[in-house]
Amino acid sequence: MSQPILQAESVIKNFRLGKEEISVLKGVDLSLQSGEMLALLGTSGAGKSTLLHVLGLLDPPSKGRILYEGQEVQNLPAQQRARLRHQKIGFVFQFYHLIPELSALQNVKLGSMMDISLGAWWKRRGELDARARELLQLVGLEHRLRHRPAELSGGERQRVAIARALIANPKLILADEPTGNLDSHTADDVLELLFRINQERGISFLLVTHNEELAARCHRIVRLKDGVVIGEELPAQTGASQES
Amino acid sequence: MYRYFLALRYLINRPINLLGTIGIMLGVWSLIVVVSIFSGYLGAVEEHLRSSTADLSVIEPPETIPFEILQRAIEADENVLACSPRLLWYGLLHPFGARVKSEVIGQTGAVVSETNFVSVIGIDPELDRRVTGFHGWLTEVIDEEMRVANPDRPLDDRADLPSMVISTSRMQREAASIGDRIRLTTGQSSGSRQSESLNFINATFALSGSFSSSYAGFDSLNVFVHIDRMREMLKSPAGSTNEIAIKLLDPDKAEETALRLTNTLKVLDPRMRFTSVRTWKQSNFIQLSSIEHQRSLMQLVLFVIMIVAAFLMYTTLSMMVTEKTGDIGILTAMGGSPLGVSSVFLACGLVIALVGSVLGVVTGCLSSIYLDDFNQWLKASFEIDLFPTRIYNLKSVPYSLDPLWMLIVSAIALMVGLVVSGLPAWRAARLDPLQSLRRD
Ligand SMILES: Nc1ncnc2c1ncn2[C@@H]1O[C@H](COP(=O)(O)OP(=O)(O)OP(=O)(O)O)[C@@H](O)[C@H]1O
Ligand SMILES: [Mg+2]
Repeated sequence: MSQPILQAESVIKNFRLGKEEISVLKGVDLSLQSGEMLALLGTSGAGKSTLLHVLGLLDPPSKGRILYEGQEVQNLPAQQRARLRHQKIGFVFQFYHLIPELSALQNVKLGSMMDISLGAWWKRRGELDARARELLQLVGLEHRLRHRPAELSGGERQRVAIARALIANPKLILADEPTGNLDSHTADDVLELLFRINQERGISFLLVTHNEELAARCHRIVRLKDGVVIGEELPAQTGASQES
Repeated sequence: MYRYFLALRYLINRPINLLGTIGIMLGVWSLIVVVSIFSGYLGAVEEHLRSSTADLSVIEPPETIPFEILQRAIEADENVLACSPRLLWYGLLHPFGARVKSEVIGQTGAVVSETNFVSVIGIDPELDRRVTGFHGWLTEVIDEEMRVANPDRPLDDRADLPSMVISTSRMQREAASIGDRIRLTTGQSSGSRQSESLNFINATFALSGSFSSSYAGFDSLNVFVHIDRMREMLKSPAGSTNEIAIKLLDPDKAEETALRLTNTLKVLDPRMRFTSVRTWKQSNFIQLSSIEHQRSLMQLVLFVIMIVAAFLMYTTLSMMVTEKTGDIGILTAMGGSPLGVSSVFLACGLVIALVGSVLGVVTGCLSSIYLDDFNQWLKASFEIDLFPTRIYNLKSVPYSLDPLWMLIVSAIALMVGLVVSGLPAWRAARLDPLQSLRRD
């Protein structure tokens, strides 16, 4: 097997609340192959979002190791973690988190401006603009370029967010309940889009969801409960579950 | 690069930021306009004081030393062009007699007042011509009825009476005409310190015309007579003088020349060890410093506007950071570092301060330049005179734009902007980006 794009080894995450210490992740092991679509299932409060943030280098783990393509990253300085986030990871959240002052096109373009100097951006602006338009076309929003988030529907907003996550050419997209806020019909459309991106571009996905049906369409399912992985399944192959 | 882009977008899409910009603009504007007007007035007054005062004045040389001796010593100095003797005295002008007086109403609506207690200046018109502006003040009088017949010999005796030249405004007020008799009463003490007595002197002069310097304060206080008639009146020896006016080749070197001359005179005669030589600035120290003082006081007051502007800016930026917590979260997720994200807000502050300063400087310059037109319009339309020009005999509202001052004000405004946006930016850097990502 080739090297996993992302690995988590005995990741522990505790939060301090006053004097109390809450243990949210209690030793999570996880790996994600290149091109793999992994569903992370679990009840509310299981620690799914927390795990996603830790894996996405937004929050350092209390203990344990995180490896990107075999390289340990949890101890990198903030500046380098930020760069890694930009280069390797795309995020999609339940609540889109688009910037309200920017149009759909500008929101997507913003994703390409994070790690580039003004001069370099100016030289490449044509190319980056074309790329943002192309991605918006990919998500089916070529007719909504100038709309502000407030002028878009929930599904459209999430599509913009997906296009934005793609613009920096990430190897991996971390999606936290991307359809949690959408009606089932719109949710299906958005999911189709995600599956298509996975297939056409070979981008790995870590998809946090409550939805069993959706999880069943992924390559692999990991179940999280009370901060520990309680099971892994490979639905696409046999449907047989392997308890760990 | 996202910082500039976002900062710009935030600014454009949040009209509330205009408040900060306008605040800074007002601060800069007022600092520039008010200081430029004050400097303008100061410059005008300086010019007028300067034109009514000789470059240097030798104060109270002993009257027993003849002017010729002093002149030789003074004019030997490399920076002295010429000098002329004066005999300064004081006196009371009698009312001009029973005739209809007209009040001279200034543009401010106030009656131009002229006291009857005056300085009487005895001069030698011929020598003085090379030293002070007196000759010009005579020819400047527009009304022929009040102008001296021969400006080259303004103080020649008229019939059997000595001549006197008074200011045009006094002549107007007294409804006097050339040839009128003017009576002057003054006094002179005599005897030793123990048994001093005051002798009254009454003298009669004939009015030969009027003068008009550009400084009303000077005009109202002084009258001119011929120095020889003055010497006779005071029974002073021929050649006596109690002030010497000096014209310099290079007025910028007034201070050092004054020092040098003080020394020259001291060496020339030990009686002059207490005789001082003053520059025109020293002679008018009080008038000049009071305006200077007002200007600095005004600057202080105006900086308060800057503080208010800073506060406005701080509030709007701080509000923005609070509102933008969600954006901070997603920017961090997309690869923004805390420093980078906070610099978005810093950039916002800087742009606000920069735009405010530039607008302030531009509007400040424009309103200084067009202030006079505005003042004229106010006067014409509402009879409001914001900037009375009459007091200083000015033709228009003076202003003086100092590039250095503009630079200082802009630099201060920028610094204020930086400091004031630094605080919200710092707060943005310390915000937990996850907090906003967890909830909506
Ligand atoms: N900053 C924090 N401080 C303290 N406790 C926290 C913090 N963040 C998360 N938790 C706790 O960690 C637990 C897991 O939270 P998390 O958001 O990861 O759950 P989740 O699996 O994503 O749930 P959901 O499906 O509802 O989104 C919760 O009990 C939550 O209260
Ligand atoms: Mg969650």
